[in-house]
Amino acid sequence: MNKLLKLSNVSLNYTIDNNSINILKNISFEVDYKETISIVGESGSGKTSLIMLIGGLEKNSAGNIFFKDSEISNMTEDEISEIRRKNIGIVFQSFYLIPNYTALENVSLSLEINKLDNATKKAKEILDRFGLSNRFNNLPSQLSGGEQQRVAIARSVVMKPELILADEPTGNLDSENTENISSLLFNYIKDENASLIMVTHDNNLANLTKRKIIIKDGVISENQ
Amino acid sequence: MKINDLSLYSKYAFRDLLRSYSKILSIIITLLISLFILSAILTIEDSLENELNENSKVLLGGDLEIDYNNREGDKNLIKQVENISTVSQIVEFSTMISTIEKKQNKTSFTRIKAIDQNYPLYGDVIFEPVGSLKKLNEIDNTILVNENIFKNLNLKINDIVKVQNIKFKVIGVVKVLPDIGGAFVFGDFALTGKKTLDKLELNTLGSFLNYEYKIKFDDYKNKDKKINEIKKIFKNNDKVKIRYPENSAGGIKRIIDNFSQFLSLVSISAMLIAGIGIANTLLSFINQKNSSIAVQKAIGINSGNIKTIYYLQLLISLIFISLVAYGLSFFLVPVVDKYISDGLGLNIQASFSLTNLFIVFMVGLLVIIIFSIPTVNSIDQIKASSLFRNVFQSLQFKYSKLSISLSLLLLTILISLFAFRSSIPTYSLIYFASFFVCLAVFFYVSRFIILLLRNNLFNLGISSKIAIKNITQSKSITPITVMSLGLGMTLLLTLAFVGSNFKREIAKSIPEIAPDYFFLGIQNNQKNLFKKIIIDTDKEAVTEIVPMVSAGLVKINGIDPNTYISNSNDSYWVIMNDRRVSWVNTIPKDNPILEGSWWDTSKPNKLQISLDSKVAKDFGVNIGDKFTLRIYGREIEGEVVNFRLVNYQDLSINFAMLLNPQFAENIPHEYLSTIKFKNIKSFNEVNFLDKFPSVSIIKISDYLSKVTDVLNKVFIAVSIISAVTVIIGLVVISSAIIVQRKIKIFQNLVFKILGFSKKEIIMSSIIEFIISFLSIIFFSTIFAVLASKFIIENIFQLKWLFEINIFFYVTIGVGVATLALIIITNFRYLSPKVYPLVRNE
Repeated sequence: MNKLLKLSNVSLNYTIDNNSINILKNISFEVDYKETISIVGESGSGKTSLIMLIGGLEKNSAGNIFFKDSEISNMTEDEISEIRRKNIGIVFQSFYLIPNYTALENVSLSLEINKLDNATKKAKEILDRFGLSNRFNNLPSQLSGGEQQRVAIARSVVMKPELILADEPTGNLDSENTENISSLLFNYIKDENASLIMVTHDNNLANLTKRKIIIKDGVISENQ
Repeated sequence: MKINDLSLYSKYAFRDLLRSYSKILSIIITLLISLFILSAILTIEDSLENELNENSKVLLGGDLEIDYNNREGDKNLIKQVENISTVSQIVEFSTMISTIEKKQNKTSFTRIKAIDQNYPLYGDVIFEPVGSLKKLNEIDNTILVNENIFKNLNLKINDIVKVQNIKFKVIGVVKVLPDIGGAFVFGDFALTGKKTLDKLELNTLGSFLNYEYKIKFDDYKNKDKKINEIKKIFKNNDKVKIRYPENSAGGIKRIIDNFSQFLSLVSISAMLIAGIGIANTLLSFINQKNSSIAVQKAIGINSGNIKTIYYLQLLISLIFISLVAYGLSFFLVPVVDKYISDGLGLNIQASFSLTNLFIVFMVGLLVIIIFSIPTVNSIDQIKASSLFRNVFQSLQFKYSKLSISLSLLLLTILISLFAFRSSIPTYSLIYFASFFVCLAVFFYVSRFIILLLRNNLFNLGISSKIAIKNITQSKSITPITVMSLGLGMTLLLTLAFVGSNFKREIAKSIPEIAPDYFFLGIQNNQKNLFKKIIIDTDKEAVTEIVPMVSAGLVKINGIDPNTYISNSNDSYWVIMNDRRVSWVNTIPKDNPILEGSWWDTSKPNKLQISLDSKVAKDFGVNIGDKFTLRIYGREIEGEVVNFRLVNYQDLSINFAMLLNPQFAENIPHEYLSTIKFKNIKSFNEVNFLDKFPSVSIIKISDYLSKVTDVLNKVFIAVSIISAVTVIIGLVVISSAIIVQRKIKIFQNLVFKILGFSKKEIIMSSIIEFIISFLSIIFFSTIFAVLASKFIIENIFQLKWLFEINIFFYVTIGVGVATLALIIITNFRYLSPKVYPLVRNE
């Protein structure tokens, strides 16, 4: 198949008070290795739900999701956790650093969970690469918003995942930090040959990706 | 889980704990207090038992004791013993000591030990001045009195006192005796030389005379051989009892066992109340960690491993808390030692016990697991997808069939651990059953209050409306307040009611029923003179005088009762030693016959026995059974003809066994008398003793004041320890309020914006408290009344009354403390800063 990711007729429904709500309907697309994709659309269109499905954080109601030939829709939570921790890095809009862990500990957490040697050394290298060499031992509360997002990106890429999922990575940042973070993220992806699926409202950011998927009312309206 | 994983998760657990222990401080405090109490009980109990075991020879006074009861030992046999060991002869007797040179002379009923030069064979007598102990056997008519006699009789060294009609010089004060296994534990005592004994007129019954021969093996290695030789020497002498060190201080051991059983139950109550707080605080802690847990899940750590991290945090905390609690308990031992040393002459020292540390840790672990299972399981409710939505649902306790079964299994193990370690497991099981019934009732009471107030039937002021809203909201602390405080209050009220009823009943028996004096050892030829003197002193004095003889119950239906009745039997005292028995023509007024018939006068030559119905029940005796009594060394068989209801509580003359006078009156005997004077001041003890030097006088009010004093101290100690459950309850409530911190601050901020005054907000807290507390008082009182009534009426067989004063003291005391705590804890949240909250910081 030689595709990093393949979604085939994927749907997501929620049932609230006996009413079924269709969040995503018959979504199908493929992602190549080293490809960068932005997902855009109005609020409530289903963008975030889509990357939650891709990351295995939600179960699809119908269809199939293949990650490197393995169908993740039928996997148990533990099996998906195993794939996620080795192959997928996630960047959130609100950073979500663990508040009582230092920057270094937040980054080394993924490495340690995967039982990699020299976790601290590798975490320091990536933080150093992201310009945070003087912030190793600071807690998140002692960092600026831009610094926090750099730590969060460092945490998501430290395992050198093949796929990075980013949900509005610059949504909580000012324009200067937005520019810094986006160049940092895209330079990294280019250098490490990773793939990126990014949800964003920011057209400038979306234009940096190779492909743009527009979602409207839970269906793909454009796949450019 | 692999070792590597465990090591990694332990590292995270340790790190998390170090950085956020302040958020689980209430868990740490409640666990520490309750485990400290448990550790203290175990350590003190262990130290006391070690002391008793290690010093069993000291407590017995020798490697062996030959007890000849009230007869002097066979000199030939004792001589044979002296050939293989060192023997110290001790004669104990009770008599009166009086001052004769004071402006106002006084008397004291005293147990005197007449000792020889070999005393003590083991241990030390603590006395002053130096050398006075040795002088007892060098100088005639010398005596060492204990500190209490010295103080009460206002004595000085070299003062002269009178024992019977002999003058003695007080040459010193004795503070501690090593061999306290006998009757020397609580009463006044004195030491005199063996030679002096011959000068006194000791009567076997009234003096409670006892001859003991303490034996020390010079070559302890051949102990067993020598014990066998001694057994052979006394093989044909069934009047002699041989006691071994392991039998010494059996009574003290029983008291320690019972007391520690009760305190253990109090400590486990505190632990279970703490468990309610642990569950609540832990849920709040995990709620605060909601997003961090979601991040961990997003990174790829599964729910099971995250739960492991939290369990490991609890485990690490528990290891630390157990060690600290157990270590702290060692500091309590010297405090207890001070009181024990003064009272019992024991010198206890804390000693490390791995078993006790393990028990403390295991109890803590069981409580933590039982209460944290539904809380830690709530981690399953956290979803990594929440990170995208930035919306975190508040977590709820998660119960499953498996977790409920596991909790019940662990609870059963916990209860078994306490129940089957205790001396009376049934009592422990009843206690636990009552505890859980109370817990369930308090839980449903809290739900009922919420349901009642939710219907909003009331048209009240704004403070009341806020209070009702606080009580009925989904995260209300009402259930926790009602359960934790309700259980503590129930325990405290129960003990207070038991204590006050007990003390009142004892105090009440002095003026109403009890005589003023007991007179022991009135000889046959003194009886008439005794009566005359009493009448001359006070014509209206009520005198009861009965014959008395010493008898040992040696066989029941031909079998030695010691072979099948254990010393845990309530009536064991009847067969333990010789008892005093009496005879009377008519049925005693306060001893109604429950079964059988009074004396058959057609059989004056047959011994007939009237038995205490309680003893009959405890021994399984039926009417018509045969008792063999040993009186003056002669065995006489008699028939049990009736059972009497004997009430020892009234302190009048009562006997477990009464004999038919037609048979018994020819037996040589003494008299025992009780007197209730119309005008007690007309009786002068010193003048009386001039005329009856060998008679012993026990003043009931003195005796009862000593008993009441001891009971007061015991109840104060028990109440203080029981108050721990209330303290734990208060910590739990305080932590529950702190858990609500965010809600409270936000609520108070909104109130502030809307223009509410602090007074109105505080008032709402007070109203909220009053609503909960009134229901707590109501149900705690019902439980405490039922439990204390059962204990007083069925166990102590006393009259129970509702003590309104005690009720007010306890409820107002606990109420004020709780209210103060609630206001202080809430006060911090009364003035929230508006800016950070409106900016959602």
